[in-house]
Amino acid sequence: MSDIAIKVENLGKCYQIGHAKSGELRESFGQWFKKLKGSNGKAAETAYEFWALQNISFEVREGQAVGIIGHNGAGKSTLLKILSRITEPTKGRFEIRGRVSSLLEVGTGFHPELSGRENIYLNGTILGMKRSEIRAKFDEIVAFSGVEKFIDTPVKHYSSGMKVRLAFAVAAHLEPEILIIDEVLAVGDAEFQKKCLGKMDEVSKNEGRTILFVSHNMLALQSLCSEAILLSSGEVTATGSVDQVVSTYLRAFNASEKIKIVYPSSECPGNQSVKLLSQEVVPNEHDHLIVNDRPLEMTFRFENLQKGESVLDVTFHLADEMGNLVFVGSSAFSGNNMVGNGLHCYSCQIPAYLLHEGFYLISRLLIVKDKGTILYEHRDNITFQVKEPTVAEFGWKGAKEGIVRPKLEWVIK
Amino acid sequence: MQKIVVDANKHQVTLNLRELLAYKDLFLVLAYRDLKVRYAQTFLGLFWAFIQPAATLLIFTVVFGVAVKVETGGVPYPIFAIAGMSAWAYFAFVLNNSGNSIIGAQEMVKKIYFPRLIIPLSKAVVGLVDFAVAFVFMSGLMIFYGFMPSANIIYLPLFILLTIISALAVGIWLSALTIRYRDFQQIVPFMIQFGLYATPIAYPAETIIKSLPNWAVIIYYLNPMAGVVEGFRWSILGGEPPSKYAYISFVLIILLFISALYYFRKVERIMADIV
Repeated sequence: MSDIAIKVENLGKCYQIGHAKSGELRESFGQWFKKLKGSNGKAAETAYEFWALQNISFEVREGQAVGIIGHNGAGKSTLLKILSRITEPTKGRFEIRGRVSSLLEVGTGFHPELSGRENIYLNGTILGMKRSEIRAKFDEIVAFSGVEKFIDTPVKHYSSGMKVRLAFAVAAHLEPEILIIDEVLAVGDAEFQKKCLGKMDEVSKNEGRTILFVSHNMLALQSLCSEAILLSSGEVTATGSVDQVVSTYLRAFNASEKIKIVYPSSECPGNQSVKLLSQEVVPNEHDHLIVNDRPLEMTFRFENLQKGESVLDVTFHLADEMGNLVFVGSSAFSGNNMVGNGLHCYSCQIPAYLLHEGFYLISRLLIVKDKGTILYEHRDNITFQVKEPTVAEFGWKGAKEGIVRPKLEWVIK
Repeated sequence: MQKIVVDANKHQVTLNLRELLAYKDLFLVLAYRDLKVRYAQTFLGLFWAFIQPAATLLIFTVVFGVAVKVETGGVPYPIFAIAGMSAWAYFAFVLNNSGNSIIGAQEMVKKIYFPRLIIPLSKAVVGLVDFAVAFVFMSGLMIFYGFMPSANIIYLPLFILLTIISALAVGIWLSALTIRYRDFQQIVPFMIQFGLYATPIAYPAETIIKSLPNWAVIIYYLNPMAGVVEGFRWSILGGEPPSKYAYISFVLIILLFISALYYFRKVERIMADIV
C-alpha cells in the first residue's frame, strides 16, 4: 500500500537567459563557422544561466496527496512540467510508477469550432483517456458540466464559464493512478470550484489515488493534501505535514512584516480612477507592537482622480496566517460615503479582543464605487503581527481555536 | 504497472514506436479535429479540395497541353498532368501543414505530454482526404476520355506509399527544424513553388533526362518527388518504366525518413522549452 509512487532525486533544471530561445539560422551558421575556425563557438557563454530548480529530492507514497507551496517563481510549475515529462530535467532523475495524468491547464486543446461533444473527446484523449473510456463516462461528464443543452453547439458560442465547466468535467473524470494538478482551480466560479475540489477529494481519499497539487489557496491545499513541500527559489526548504508547511510558508512570508506602506508619489499603484497612497496599521503599544487588548486602527489613503462626487468605499479582506479569511471590513457598511475629487483618508478600528495572537495580512484591498463597482484592487498589502498583552490578566491558556475570539459580555446569575 | 524513469544523465535516442501506438486514439482524434476544422464555416466545404487541383490542371492544360504541346506519348494531357499532380499536391499539402504544425500546437506542447510526432503525422492523414478527392477527379477524367489504366496499376499502392513516406520524411524534418529556425516558415512556400516545376508534373521526366547533362539530372532527382511522380504516373498510365535515376529519389526518401525520425526525437526533448 505504501509503495513509492514518485521518487525524485537531485533534480535540477537550468534555463539559458538572454540567449535567443529559438535561434536563427544566421546564428547557428555563425557558431558552426567559428567551430570550423577552431575558436570553439563560445557565444553561448555570454548567456546567463538560470537554475529554476536545484537539488530537488522527495518521495511520494502511493495514495498520498501532496501539496506544493511556494511564491511565484519558486519553481512549482517547472517541477510539475518536468514530472509531467513536458520538459526534461538538466540534472538528476525521477521515477514514476503508474499511469499519470497532468492537469496544468483546463481545456488543453479545446477547439472553438468544434462542438462540446467533440471537445470532450478531444480534451479527454489529450489528457490520456481512451475513446472507449470517454464513451462510457460521457453522460456523467455532461451532467457534471451542466451544459447538456449546448452539447452540440460549437464551443466558440459558449460563455467562458461554460467552457471552464466543460473542461473541468472532463478533468474530474480522469482515472489515472497519479494526478498532477497545477493551479487550475483559480478559474471558474466559487460554487463550481467547490464541486471540483469535492470530486478530487473523493477521488484521492476513496480511491487511493496519488495527487501532486499546486495552489495558492491554502484552504484548498489543507483540505485536499496531507503532506506538503515548500519550494523557495528553486529549492525544497520544508517538507512535512501540510499544516506545518503551510504555517512555515506563511511565517516566512510574514517575516517581512509591513505594518505601514507609503507609496512613493511616482509609483502609486492604481489606475485612471484612483491611486493608492498609503496603508497602515497603527501600532497601539510602544516598540511598534500591536496588542489585542486594545482596538487596532487601520488607515488607508488614496486619491480620487474622477471628476465630481461619487460614493467611494474601501473594502479589505483580512486573512490569518493559514490563509483563512477572518472577515471583510468595508466602509460601505457605515452609510453613504460621498466624496469628491482629491485626497481621502479612510480609517477604521478593529475592536479589542477580536483577533488572536498571530500573523495577519490584508489579502485583498478594494476601492469600490457606488457599493458595487470595483474601481481598483490591490493584492500586495500590509501584513502585521498581533500579540497577546504581556501580562494576560484574562483568558485561556490553551491553543488558539476558532478564527476570532471576541470578548463576549457575560451575565452570570 | 507502468513505470517511467527519466534521467538527465542517460539520454538514449530511441524511436519508441510502441509508445506511438499507445497514443493512437489521440492521433485519430487530432486528425479528426484538423479535418473538421479545415472546412468549418466555409460555404463550399470539401468542394474546395476539388477546386484547387482543378484550377491548376486547367492552367497546365492550357499552357503545356495546348500552347506548348508537351509530348505525352498519346495520353490526353489533362490525364497526364493530374496523374503527376495528385501525388505532388499531397506532398505539398503535408509540407505546408506540418512545417508549422508544432508551432501551431504549442499551447498543447507546453501543457501536456504526448509523443510530439503525432502532430505532423495527423497532418499527413488529413492530406489523404485531398489525395482521395484528386483520385476521384482523375478517375472521372479517365472515364471521360475513355482511357484504360495500364496493367502496371498493381504497383500503384507501392507508389502511394512512397508518396506518403516522402511527404512525411520532409514534413517531419520541417516540423522539427521550424521550431528552432523560423526561417523555414519562409522557405517552405518557396520550396513548394520551386518543386512544382522541378518535378515532372507538367512534362515527362524523359525531357529532362534527354536534354540535361548527367550531373544535372542527378541533381534533379535529388528532389524526392521526382522519382515518385515518375513511378506514380507509370503505374497508372503505363509507358516507359521509371528511369535508373528514379532510384536516387527512392534511396533518398528512405534516408530522409529515417533521419527525420531520429532528428525529431532529438528535438522533441527540448521542444517545450524552445517552441
